[in-house]
Amino acid sequence: MNWLYQFPFKLNIDTAAIDDAVRSFAVNNEAILQFMRRGLNGLLSSIHSTLDFIPWWILVIVVFVLGFLQTKKIKTGIVYAVMLFSIGAVGLWPLMLLTLSIVIASVAISLLLGFPIGVLISMNDRASSIVRPILDTMQTMPVFVYLIPAVLLFGLGRVPAVMATTIYAIVPIVRLTNLGIRQVNEEVVEAAKSFGSTRIQAMVKVQIPQAFATIMAGLNQTLMMAMAMVVTASMIGASGLGMEVLISVNRVEVGRGLVSGTAVVILAILLDRLSQGWVKDKEEEA
Amino acid sequence: MNMKKLITMMAISLLALAGCAPSTGSGSGHIVMADAGWDSIRLHNHVVGFIAENAFDLTWSEMSGSTPITYEAFKNGEIDVYTEFWTENVAPYRGDVESGVILELGVNFNDNYQGIYVPRYVIEGDAARGIEPMAPNLRTVKDLLDYPDLFVDEEVPSKGRIYGGIPGWAVDEILYKKFMAYGFDDTFIYFRPGSDAALSAAIISAYDRGEPIAAYYWEPTWLMAQYDLVLLEDEPFDADRFHEGLTEFGAADVTVAARKGFDTEFPEFTEFLSNYSTSSAMTSAALLHMQVSGDDYLNSAKWFLREYDEYLDQWLSAEQAAAVRQALN
Amino acid sequence: MEERKAIIRVENLSKLYGRNRQEAAELLKKGADKNEVLKKTGVTTALWDVNLDINEGETFVIIGLSGSGKSTLVRCFNRLNKPTSGKIFYKDQNIGELTKKELLNFRRDNIAMVFQHFGLMSHRNVVTNVEYGLEIKNVGKQLRREKALEMIQMVGLEGFEYSPIGSLSGGMKQRVGLARALANEPEVLLMDEPFSALDPLVKRDMQFELLSIQEKMRKTIIFITHDINEAFKLGDRVAIMRDGRVVQIGTPEEMITNPADDYVKEFIEGADKAKVMTARHVMVTPQCIVKTHDGANRAIQEMRSNNVPSAYVVNDQMEFVGIITLDGAMKARDEKLKVKDALITDVKMVDIDDTVDQVMTMFADAKFPVAVLKGKKLRGIISKASVITTLSESSFEQENEKSEA
Repeated sequence: MNWLYQFPFKLNIDTAAIDDAVRSFAVNNEAILQFMRRGLNGLLSSIHSTLDFIPWWILVIVVFVLGFLQTKKIKTGIVYAVMLFSIGAVGLWPLMLLTLSIVIASVAISLLLGFPIGVLISMNDRASSIVRPILDTMQTMPVFVYLIPAVLLFGLGRVPAVMATTIYAIVPIVRLTNLGIRQVNEEVVEAAKSFGSTRIQAMVKVQIPQAFATIMAGLNQTLMMAMAMVVTASMIGASGLGMEVLISVNRVEVGRGLVSGTAVVILAILLDRLSQGWVKDKEEEA
Repeated sequence: MNMKKLITMMAISLLALAGCAPSTGSGSGHIVMADAGWDSIRLHNHVVGFIAENAFDLTWSEMSGSTPITYEAFKNGEIDVYTEFWTENVAPYRGDVESGVILELGVNFNDNYQGIYVPRYVIEGDAARGIEPMAPNLRTVKDLLDYPDLFVDEEVPSKGRIYGGIPGWAVDEILYKKFMAYGFDDTFIYFRPGSDAALSAAIISAYDRGEPIAAYYWEPTWLMAQYDLVLLEDEPFDADRFHEGLTEFGAADVTVAARKGFDTEFPEFTEFLSNYSTSSAMTSAALLHMQVSGDDYLNSAKWFLREYDEYLDQWLSAEQAAAVRQALN
Repeated sequence: MEERKAIIRVENLSKLYGRNRQEAAELLKKGADKNEVLKKTGVTTALWDVNLDINEGETFVIIGLSGSGKSTLVRCFNRLNKPTSGKIFYKDQNIGELTKKELLNFRRDNIAMVFQHFGLMSHRNVVTNVEYGLEIKNVGKQLRREKALEMIQMVGLEGFEYSPIGSLSGGMKQRVGLARALANEPEVLLMDEPFSALDPLVKRDMQFELLSIQEKMRKTIIFITHDINEAFKLGDRVAIMRDGRVVQIGTPEEMITNPADDYVKEFIEGADKAKVMTARHVMVTPQCIVKTHDGANRAIQEMRSNNVPSAYVVNDQMEFVGIITLDGAMKARDEKLKVKDALITDVKMVDIDDTVDQVMTMFADAKFPVAVLKGKKLRGIISKASVITTLSESSFEQENEKSEA
């Protein structure tokens, strides 16, 4: 009766060949990879040094003002400012800036790549049917599976961290750009066409502006997912708040973990609220 | 309609949960071993497990997790046996052994190495790969100070990079102290690789490209068995100054440990574990075999037992050893 | 009606949705109906063998229930829908054969559309919505703003130029839609149920607005509706559609007097007669007419012999000039004046083609029966009593015979 429960055969996938392929790809394309590494490093450095250049109290004031403008409540502004201040107060300010620069770079790249892809697949059902399973894969594939290849290709540190974060965080912006454009009222699109808009005119002048709120919601989600990758990214050497969490967890230092974990949460909440508020403002204008 | 569907689905989920009620009670004949996440501990688990099954008629399983998490489970008695305990890497270990929270049964091996490695081609070059020697005079850790430009950190191109310990491992702190004490701080970045897998990948990646890299690593590992890296020399070991990062790593004790009370429940098996002693070289060889042949852990464990057949007589009674040998054939 | 040039000609136009279109077409040729085709082949028949001529400057109304294919048809005119087979000619140009670029230019210059739910862009304000058509054909900023403002004024939205779309009422939104379509100066205006999303009062306003704009602009309008009253009120000619086919095409009167089949008859039953029938149907010939140069005595004599208290006064060209009452005539006689000196010009007048419900609004403050004119010539008069009598009769045919008799 064993055959009922046993699988009839086992395919021997030559995983070693895949290993070799990735590694020889890394060796053979060193020039391109190095170019990408340098470019990303340059981007990260300039984001980080910009952030680093701003005195801490200016950022706190900016957060206060944004919070106030958004809700028209002084209280909100104060709460936001105190939250940000508390990260600095527990000595995690430099680490927060490192984390923030990785998040900003990842979100910027996600937007730069994801938005055009979203637009493309909204126009083409076939492209959409090809891209969607890839997006599903990117979202569900355990991060470690591509974390190590990322290291093989891009070394250890913030560059592969940005890569891995982008792979994970780009999905919502693609999906929601696609969804938003497809959900634009059909009559409005027809109207644009009926006046003789070219496809590009209809897209740029009508569909994208009409889908703006949804696209912004996608950007907000992308931001949140990038934040969620912070700790994972530190496992390939990205320094910042995530590394602090990783060290404390590995040492079973619960208290230290809680402090740095809370800093991650505060940063995430601030980014979420401030970006959401901006979307709402835009929506009200429309 | 939708409500109905929802209720049906909830009912199914409940049933499924009920069906999955844990089948506890593995009985007295079951041993849980720690799988703290690296290859050699899994190999030793399978060797010990194979012997447990065939010589002691016990069943066994592994519980996986990071070092700190498995250690907590170990202290709580959820894990019975640690076959390869890197005592230097868990700060509270010594204290816990002394206070009797856990039992140290014996030393698995203590001929291991760890420290800062560089690929051999960095010093000697590799004619076959067309690599010129990059730092022919590099011998010691302190010599690295002369080469910040060679081991350049792409993130901070004005400085060199030394890959340090895995965050949270005890060696991380010691290495960082060494980094500061030797004055690397001005010209180098102390880079924490985040995880051992990431560190391995970084070394492999550099090695494949023939690039220079200076990184903490340890033996026995398949990586060290497969790749030709040189351990940089350091000041002679001194137990006190070592913790300040001022000397080389002594060979760390890698022990076999068991939870409190294990010895009274499984006296015979405990005796075997106390005898269980291998070496770094043996372990490396088995790991290299596994890496090259693609065998799984169980088959590699069998290979190990066949290869080092004579050890069975040291670990086990004649009768037990015979049972294992029979199972191997 | 004089022969006019067809601006759009539709020949054997069909639109089928589904895989086995060929099989379905065979069945349809044999006379199978929509449901039968759907059951046998899984093909939806949106349009089948439609033939139409639409004349320049006319308002052509296409009416039918939902699913009858009218919206599909109207979208074939600007190729928002691609027909399965058949041809549409715009001034002898088969629009199915236009290249991509020609199609864009056709849409930009010759044809514009107004949508049921307005199709406005919520991220733009009123004036930038109206500008849209000009913007995409690269009309200069200043020029298109001027044009847009002019159109906004024409549809009566001055003061709302810079309002966001979201702040407008339904009727205002459709005015924006109309202004946007007209800003392109199209020759053909497609209107897909433009007023059906509006409440009845607003709808009447908009219909009036459309009629008065059409008065000025004389566009060719293809107007889709499911409201028979709207169709008869606005349409020079009406096409009734059912299950993707055109059942009958004709003027409202032709449809009333000579419905093609029971379906059309049933459809027309729903019509408010007052909105369908025109002054022609209910007027009577005035019994007592006097000329402007007649003396007062002659007028008095006429009125007395006809036993009426007033007479209708025309000039030599039979153009209506006013009314003279018996009292007025007697007073004139005493003062030795002529008829033209005692005229009452404050008389309600209607055109012979005005609908009865328009006429009825006149009665509210009318002292005399309403004069019915064609051009300026007097053709008849309508009293309140005669309208009520006519409307209470049941058959259109009878009324028609009577009015023509």
